[in-house]
Amino acid sequence: MYPFGKGKARLIPYLYLSIPLLLYVVFGFGPSLVTVLFSFTDATGVRGQEWSFIGFDNYKTFFGASNAGDRMDAIGRSLYFAFAVVIIQNAVGLFMAILINKKLKGDKLYRAVFFLPVVLGVTVSGLIWQLVANPLGGPAQSLLNFFGTSSNFFGDYNIAFELIIFVQIWMYMGYSMTIFLAGLQSIPSDLYEAGYMDGASGWKAFTNITFPMIAPSFTVNMLLSIIGALQTFDIIYVLTGGKFNTTTLAFDVYATAFGTGTADYGLASAVAMIQFLFVFTISMVALFYLRRREVEA
Amino acid sequence: MKKKILSISLVTALLFVLAACGSSSTESEGSQTADGSKKVTLKIIHWQQENINNYIKEFNKKFEEKYPDVKVEYTTVPADATYDQLMQTRMNAGNNGDVDIIPLKSSFVGAPQEWSKGAADPMWKQWIDAGLISDLSDQSFIKNYNEADIKNAMTYNDKVYGVNMGKVAFTGLFYNKDLFAKYNLDIPETWDELQNAIKVFKDNGVEALGLAGKDVWPIGLAVQGLQASIHDDQLAYIKGLWTGESKLTDPVQIEVLQKSQVLMNSAMPGFMGVDYGTLPSLFATGKVAMIADGTWDATTIQTANPDLKFGYFPIPGSNDAAKNQNLAGKYDMTWMVVDKSPNKDYAMKWLEMLSEKENYTDFVNAAGFLPTQPDVEMTSEFIKGIQPYLEDFKLSWDQLFINRQNVGQYIAEASVHAEMLKPAGPIATPEELAGKSQADWDAAAPK
Repeated sequence: MYPFGKGKARLIPYLYLSIPLLLYVVFGFGPSLVTVLFSFTDATGVRGQEWSFIGFDNYKTFFGASNAGDRMDAIGRSLYFAFAVVIIQNAVGLFMAILINKKLKGDKLYRAVFFLPVVLGVTVSGLIWQLVANPLGGPAQSLLNFFGTSSNFFGDYNIAFELIIFVQIWMYMGYSMTIFLAGLQSIPSDLYEAGYMDGASGWKAFTNITFPMIAPSFTVNMLLSIIGALQTFDIIYVLTGGKFNTTTLAFDVYATAFGTGTADYGLASAVAMIQFLFVFTISMVALFYLRRREVEA
Repeated sequence: MKKKILSISLVTALLFVLAACGSSSTESEGSQTADGSKKVTLKIIHWQQENINNYIKEFNKKFEEKYPDVKVEYTTVPADATYDQLMQTRMNAGNNGDVDIIPLKSSFVGAPQEWSKGAADPMWKQWIDAGLISDLSDQSFIKNYNEADIKNAMTYNDKVYGVNMGKVAFTGLFYNKDLFAKYNLDIPETWDELQNAIKVFKDNGVEALGLAGKDVWPIGLAVQGLQASIHDDQLAYIKGLWTGESKLTDPVQIEVLQKSQVLMNSAMPGFMGVDYGTLPSLFATGKVAMIADGTWDATTIQTANPDLKFGYFPIPGSNDAAKNQNLAGKYDMTWMVVDKSPNKDYAMKWLEMLSEKENYTDFVNAAGFLPTQPDVEMTSEFIKGIQPYLEDFKLSWDQLFINRQNVGQYIAEASVHAEMLKPAGPIATPEELAGKSQADWDAAAPK
């Protein structure tokens, strides 16, 4: 009847909740709202300088200025990045989760090792791979030399972006694995026993029992990796700084706001808005299909 | 009941913390001095360059001794875009900003000229125009500097807004004197002689040339060296780009790209993966005979290997030795005072003390800069060695070039992108790259 008690005591939970709410409004919602506002202005980011509303001019600049071609390339690269990361990361994560779920000896160690990159964070992961791919005597170069070839790795226009995709997958596959593992462990074992009676084992058991049963964790993983991949900026910054054709839409937001000598917060806000709509649309479509699949299962 | 009181007090405490964050933080700054008065915190930001940072830290100690009620807070971050961001965020923090003294990476260059219609204002110009930077014209210490340098590097709109600490040259190559002596090589004075030197090193299994390709801009130093010696008049050529009289596909610019490509083909394997921080150590340990780097790194090389004998010569881009005789470069570090700063007086005192002959002399010697004050005695053998190349000091391409807004990637930022050529990049020929650059330039023309 009185879940939070009676009288003034009722207010205490609201008081507690007001703290995160306040934090969210100050550091999350407020700045987002300002970004929307800024995207329609010619604000430069210089304190004390006047700015005015210029309608959709920033958006016109994004799609119509002479470097719009480079921006479209960045959008294409974002899609490529997201596609590759979502497919491979989840496939690898699921595969590892199934193996670890087999109750092998030392599965706790494997879990820890595969999850480690998530804990390390972007800068450390970036440094590790830069050391591995050091073209002057790094282990990767020594290996290539053994086969009579060599590479510039993150300084190579042809493979730098693919290497970033690889590092991104390496960083977050443990994360996907953990979510899949949670899903796998919630499947009751009698389902498999019943399936075994009906002749479903091995691959059949996987497609007919495991896969439908982990649909919720599949949805979570897909969505997280789609949003995460489309927003990726940090690992690109650490590994190549957007050079060698590795700029994505998310990186473009940063580059527009801070990258050049002249700040242009209005345009950068417009790019951020486009980035938001881009991520929002794609994840909503994905969510629609994933949820439908969940219900059917 | 006790629990309730505890929780309420916790909530109020948190709210207070939050409220404190929002209020002006100037009052909470600074610790108490011995006599109970408030200590002033003088905030200075800078980019990371070890030899210079070390000197400034020493100098700050001296300053704090002279002014005991001041504490200097000296923050350094990497010299790339990180520093540009730090400048922006510190300038924009609160009504007074969160910094007192702020150095520019060069002098007041890049402002739109009457021939560059529609070019964007650089950050420093926007700041000065918005009244955020102090006018230093009447400060007594300005007189310590050369009149010509005050005019060239510290003045904007006939007022002095900065203190420039010196010039640097960066269009040359460091060379290992022992290796040159071993193979009987003289300092190359023409393009052909440079090619010959590279060939001799390669024939003897020595890596001839080190470039730091991963950061891209260090390759640009070599390219700017070629530009300075191949072009007759860089500024006229740049003006011509705006008016249409010259094109990025002109033979002279094709020659720059061709020779850049030759240099990259002569560079050590894997140079596109070498970052700028590694380059001096490769040279100091004798792994490469020459590297493309700025004169400011001489002290870094010397520290890395005190026994190394090395020198510096301008990249001979031309086969006419007369055109290769001088180094090009820029006015480096320019200190500016934030006008709304509450500590403006101390900021001026800091600059005044740094501008004193003795301190300034120590600074340029530590930094490896060429002085902008008269009669400064340079102790560095290295600087004395490059003196002859500095008699007719030229400004480099990046100091003269003014870019159009929203230009495409083939001309963006550094404007000449030799790193997009093979073997570093995907484009096969200089002609193809030049064509793409010119197309991007034309597309960005103001309508």
